[in-house]
Amino acid sequence: MLACLERPTDHAPHGALAASVDCAAMSEDAEQEIDLETETAAERQARFEREALPFVDQLYSAGLRMTRNPQDAEDLVQETYAKAFAAFHQYTPGTNLKAWLYRILTNTYINTYRKKQRQPTQISDELDDWQIVAAEAHTSSGLKSAEMEALEHLPDSDVKEALQELPDDFRYAVYLADVEGFPYKEIAEIMDTPIGTVMSRLHRGRRMLRDRLADYARERGLAVSGTGE
Amino acid sequence: MDPTKDTEAKADGPCGCDCTTARERLYLFLDREIDNASCEEIQQHIEDCSSCLTEYDVERIVKSLVHRSCSEQAPETLVQKVQFAIRTVEIQSEA
Repeated sequence: MLACLERPTDHAPHGALAASVDCAAMSEDAEQEIDLETETAAERQARFEREALPFVDQLYSAGLRMTRNPQDAEDLVQETYAKAFAAFHQYTPGTNLKAWLYRILTNTYINTYRKKQRQPTQISDELDDWQIVAAEAHTSSGLKSAEMEALEHLPDSDVKEALQELPDDFRYAVYLADVEGFPYKEIAEIMDTPIGTVMSRLHRGRRMLRDRLADYARERGLAVSGTGE
Repeated sequence: MDPTKDTEAKADGPCGCDCTTARERLYLFLDREIDNASCEEIQQHIEDCSSCLTEYDVERIVKSLVHRSCSEQAPETLVQKVQFAIRTVEIQSEA
């Protein structure tokens, strides 16, 4: 049933194949031809800026969700880029640069910020049989159509607030799947966990998130139909 | 004709994909993590079963809400700091 999880990933990052690469040669093969041995430091720096910098908004958004604080998010992203640049010679051109940057972001966060915040939020994954979780996850939401409508129109602030209340690992798994659209296999690599754990985190995180958002939607749904303003 | 029976028959779906299977795989379906055959099975079931369709709709809405709400723009100063750091490192290593 899970055979498809091994599907190939072809997430070419937007803007990563940059201007100096001839349009006609924008195949992966052409990208592989970058000669890392003869590339000068200046060329590597230019290539890094061209390919890695376009992800700054995405990494910053992820950083905000992780640290919950704009200043920490900035620091985290800065540190991530510094580390990524220092290790850029180890990055294989043509492979998934976005996932590579996300792995560095995640490691930096775990090593620096999570320690600093001393959050004992590592929820045990022992009970992570995702199929059990899946079976109990989908009880009827009981939302009426007006509430479904309200759910669809919830303001961003409600969604962010609900996300912030999730445990770190759940929130991050949901973020990587829903915002970045990473396949489970890549989320597993980024979070350095088995795919089963990713699925379980997604299930549990989404269930919590959905319950929270459904509450907001109900409040807003009632507010809309209840007040005769 | 018993309307209850009719609903149950629909819930099982012509493809034999029942609600339990559909709901177990709902996230896999939503995240496009299943093969085409299973995908069609679930698609078929969801089209025939209103309660699974509602479940799917809620999950789909939540997924799109998260996607919509979390795209921030990095401050321009951050971009400048990152660029500055990269260029400074380079000058030092070439010196």
